[in-house]
Amino acid sequence: MILQGKRVALPSVPVVHKQFEAHAAATPDAVAVFCAGQRVTYAELDARANRFAHFLATRGHGRGARVGLCLDYSIDLLVAILGTLKAGAAYVPLDPSYPAARLTLLLGQMPDLALIVASPATAGLVESTAVEVIDLEQLSDRLAQLPATAPDVVVTGDDVCYAVFTSGSTGTPKVTAVRHEGWFNLLNWLKVEYGLHPGSNNLVVSAFGFDLSQRSLMAPLFCGATQNLMASRNFDAAMAYRMLAEHDVRVVHCASSTLYLLVDWETARGGDTLTRLDYVLFGGEPLKARRIADWARREGNTCTLLHQYGVAECTDVASSYDLAEYWSGEHDNPPVGKPAYNTDLHILDERMRGVVAGESGEICISGASVGAGYLNGTGPESERFTTIEVDGESLRLYRTGDRGYVTPAGDLVVVGRMDSQVKVRGMRIDPADVERALGRLAGVREAAVAITYADSGEAELIAFLVPDGNELTENDVRARLLGTLPRNMVPARFLNIPRIPLSPHGKVDRAALLDACRNEFADSGMSA
Amino acid sequence: MIADSVRTIWCRELQRDDIAVDDDFFALGGQSVIMARIQGAFIDELNVEVPIDQMFLNPTVASISAYIESLDTVSR
Repeated sequence: MILQGKRVALPSVPVVHKQFEAHAAATPDAVAVFCAGQRVTYAELDARANRFAHFLATRGHGRGARVGLCLDYSIDLLVAILGTLKAGAAYVPLDPSYPAARLTLLLGQMPDLALIVASPATAGLVESTAVEVIDLEQLSDRLAQLPATAPDVVVTGDDVCYAVFTSGSTGTPKVTAVRHEGWFNLLNWLKVEYGLHPGSNNLVVSAFGFDLSQRSLMAPLFCGATQNLMASRNFDAAMAYRMLAEHDVRVVHCASSTLYLLVDWETARGGDTLTRLDYVLFGGEPLKARRIADWARREGNTCTLLHQYGVAECTDVASSYDLAEYWSGEHDNPPVGKPAYNTDLHILDERMRGVVAGESGEICISGASVGAGYLNGTGPESERFTTIEVDGESLRLYRTGDRGYVTPAGDLVVVGRMDSQVKVRGMRIDPADVERALGRLAGVREAAVAITYADSGEAELIAFLVPDGNELTENDVRARLLGTLPRNMVPARFLNIPRIPLSPHGKVDRAALLDACRNEFADSGMSA
Repeated sequence: MIADSVRTIWCRELQRDDIAVDDDFFALGGQSVIMARIQGAFIDELNVEVPIDQMFLNPTVASISAYIESLDTVSR
């Protein structure tokens, strides 16, 4: 079973920042970014990005180089992103909402960073690394002396534009690289298919480390529209809701859990700001349609909800579905729709053969969006980038590890994971990654992490700890873990157990763990 | 006392009644979704909008209450 995306020709050099530069030339006085009361025009942003690109070039950082960005949402963040791309280099988001210990671990997976751009507010998070850390504000005098025109750097569609961290199956985070051609294809698809234009103003509501945030950051600049950034390190529903109304925002990209928060906000306090948006593009975790059904079907709601599917390894989004069709139909599990342009979705069995229509199998992706693979070496994950023969032609393909099927209408439906990975509030997490962090804590002899579902239907992690001596208390372990892991990776519950149950094959028996957990709560009559 | 109202909201949203004024929100199992609900409750019940970044910087009942009281002083 293959779902074929529409074939749409791309320019001969499909590089994302050239599209931004074309807008800067055509509409230099249009507002490119609004943040914290400040506005910059396309011409100003272009000039500042060019100066930063020249700075990187004078340091010898060009094609193939990687630049770490540890910055809060700010105009400087977009200067650094665009300048890095103009220099021919790729940027690597270092999310300042992560603990310093996690950033140190992530940086350990990226040994060849050229430098890290930070600000006075973020520099402390990355100071332990051997990589040079620079501050754009401190460099402003030097940057001002560099040319405001674009540097003469040849960049191709095959060059890497950004790389983001994902959780790895062996407990080591992976750095997955995206190519310009894939990113250009994604942004061009959204622009053409959904008619995004210079009025399609955006607000970023997701954390910088997510792959979806890279799309949300660049999409308005790709379309000639205004980007709005919240001067907040953490998602702030009150501020977001106010900015949506005050800044004529038309488009929002977010994880499903953020959409629930915004819908709850509007429902609890009244208002129609969300219903008047043009688009919310969302996904990244199984949709709880009930959470948004009443709001979505409100009289006069003209916001198109695009329910999307994709993986970071294949440039973020692979398919999209207009949820309006869902409310009128009979589906149980909301589809994620049809492929992006120049992207094919294959449903394959365990021997990599296509399943018959309607049957479920592993979702595999081929086409323009397939990324450049992992930057941090080999591992079992790297084998997921493979090639298959289709009609005598050899195709590069990525095995997502997600299971799905295709409806008679030709829409993809995702039914779950082939492995133990899970999405918690939009972040893809491998329990092994959390187990490793738990195992490093004093007083923990062994740890296992399993997945449960809260009453609301959302996935939660539950940790099982074999104490090395005294029983461990939940609040103590949680507090210590918060110092080393992003919050979404910290389990919701912690239980002490005498030993980790193993399956006959010697692997952690997660089903037995969950049984133990159910018994525990049934016996004690307590909720966590 | 603002701290009493804040503690009542925390207990309700975190679904536990054993919260001390210096307990850390995240160590109590709090996460971003609960924090957004508490932010909403501050607006609806205490008539004050507290930026989420301030809630991260002041993760106890005592410190966020002190922050809210400082806002009152400024507005007077």
